[in-house]
Amino acid sequence: MATALMDKRSTSAPTAKPQRHRTKTSRPSETRGAWILLSPYVVLLLVGGIIPVGYAVKTALEKPPTPLDPSGGFGGVASFKTVFTDFRFLDTFQNVFATLAIWLPIMMIGIVGLALLIHASPGRFGSTMRFVYYIPGALAGIANLVLWVYLLNPAQSPIEGFWHAVGVDTIKQAVAAPGHLPFILTAMMFFQGVGSWIVVVNGGLNGISDETLEAAALDGANAWQLAWHVKLPIIRPWLGYAALMNLAYGFQLFLEPQLLDQVASNALPDQWTPTQLGYAFAFSNYNFPAAAAMSLILLVITLGIGLLIVFRSGLFGEDDS
Amino acid sequence: MTGIETWSAGRLARVVSMLFVAVLFLLPIAGFVAMAFRSNDGVEAGEGGFLGLGDIAWSNVQYSWSQVNGFGPEGGLFSRWLMNSLVVAGGGAILAVVAALPAGYAMARLRFRARRAVLLITLVTMVMPNTVLVIPLFLEVNAVGAVGQLWPVALIMGFFPFGVYLSYIHYLTTMPRELVEAARLDGLGEVLVFWWIGLRISKQVVVLVAFFAFVANWTNFFLPLALLSSNQNNQTVSIGLQQLIGASPLFNPTVAAGLDVKLYMPQLALATFISMLPLLVVFLGAQRFLIRGETVGAVKG
Repeated sequence: MATALMDKRSTSAPTAKPQRHRTKTSRPSETRGAWILLSPYVVLLLVGGIIPVGYAVKTALEKPPTPLDPSGGFGGVASFKTVFTDFRFLDTFQNVFATLAIWLPIMMIGIVGLALLIHASPGRFGSTMRFVYYIPGALAGIANLVLWVYLLNPAQSPIEGFWHAVGVDTIKQAVAAPGHLPFILTAMMFFQGVGSWIVVVNGGLNGISDETLEAAALDGANAWQLAWHVKLPIIRPWLGYAALMNLAYGFQLFLEPQLLDQVASNALPDQWTPTQLGYAFAFSNYNFPAAAAMSLILLVITLGIGLLIVFRSGLFGEDDS
Repeated sequence: MTGIETWSAGRLARVVSMLFVAVLFLLPIAGFVAMAFRSNDGVEAGEGGFLGLGDIAWSNVQYSWSQVNGFGPEGGLFSRWLMNSLVVAGGGAILAVVAALPAGYAMARLRFRARRAVLLITLVTMVMPNTVLVIPLFLEVNAVGAVGQLWPVALIMGFFPFGVYLSYIHYLTTMPRELVEAARLDGLGEVLVFWWIGLRISKQVVVLVAFFAFVANWTNFFLPLALLSSNQNNQTVSIGLQQLIGASPLFNPTVAAGLDVKLYMPQLALATFISMLPLLVVFLGAQRFLIRGETVGAVKG
């Protein structure tokens, strides 16, 4: 499924054909060397990935200790039942889907539109704009949150006029009014994320050969037609990749809803996203089996999205063989 | 067909819309940075005019810093959090480099049976949000009784599959297989080939991996929250900022009333601004390599 772009990239890699027969049979010394070189990474992979997942499976299958029965022990799938039947479980996924439904289309249009605009502006202006769009991305995580607290608080916001016009006088009203949160999260995540994705998609656009673009221009394509019929189809793998990565990102939302609740004087639901619910299981209820079960559910979802990206986006084609 | 006129109208529309978006992106940041240099009285009175730029003064920064760094039972907690962030983000970045380079080299230039499996695991873990594993990681660290300590956080941050992928692409594209063959003929073992030849051409990828890992670690919120919340002295600055917000009279008057320090928006903005400075420094340091490595880094971490 290698795309034209993937081919272009892999041509820079030496794919010496005559050596192929040798690659089929790996030599013992080569295998041994490979594992020695891989060992630090494998240790970290075990500590940071495989062991915690295994331990989470074990924990999820245990009984939560209670005051009456502090021993715990094997509990079968009871924890998964606890999670699935929790009154917040479906709500948290609905909240995430509501946010994704608003955010993903806006994000994709923003990424494609701005990347195409930059690509249509060669020279210093285009690269300056690309840098400017990237700047908000440097304010990642909690820094972005504090910036948005500044923007969302009508008492000092530079868009104070806007808030008063829509009848909002306090940050609590701005954040906690019913239905506001998906839009606020959309604004926050768009501001923080769009720039780095523009750089990624722009990298894809820069991979299009000049001959292709010149040929289309000679055929009489104007800038719109060029973007729509030539550039967009070529960068489709990048767009699929961006959409899926952002989808996976949406499922693990935590920081923004958690801290917006804090600045809105706890006027928001405490467990608004699945990750917040998992956190609550672990650190409010001390029900580690349920927390582990919740993590595994999210893991399966994001793992599924991850496999889709790797196998279907066309960006991770094999280098050879 | 008035070719030139439609072209210039289109060009005008393009430039205007790009500038419009740029202004939308930059104005909030300018106002926010200005906020770090303002006084709370000025903010409350709405002084300073456009974005509050007329209200900025160095003395405000000095006062705000005294408040921010005065936070905590004996004060100085904020500086401590900054140091902790440097330790875990820097330690994690070093570990990421140490693990990623040989692993990327082995996957790119050596043939062994599990190669495709290791590559697949790396790609899948790379595109998964790291937040998903935080609770399982907490359970793991809890099982060895190390919750509240910094070293497990640094160790876990050292697991950075995107860095392995960057190294893999780097060796695939910059190190010809013939070079490896020649070194083997000279009698070097596989590890020595990597050590003497692979590492010689690694400056670029070392900077890239270290940069991306440091930024990801520095801005990581959920992992330190789960692993370090129990120990106030061992928190990182991202968790610390959350505590400062929680202690602000703007959002929590009852808690703030019991504190000596007063953390209003200028103080919070200053603390945030200071917490961003290390990222700015590493960005400037790595900039040259980031621009050159644009094609390699076409895939986001």
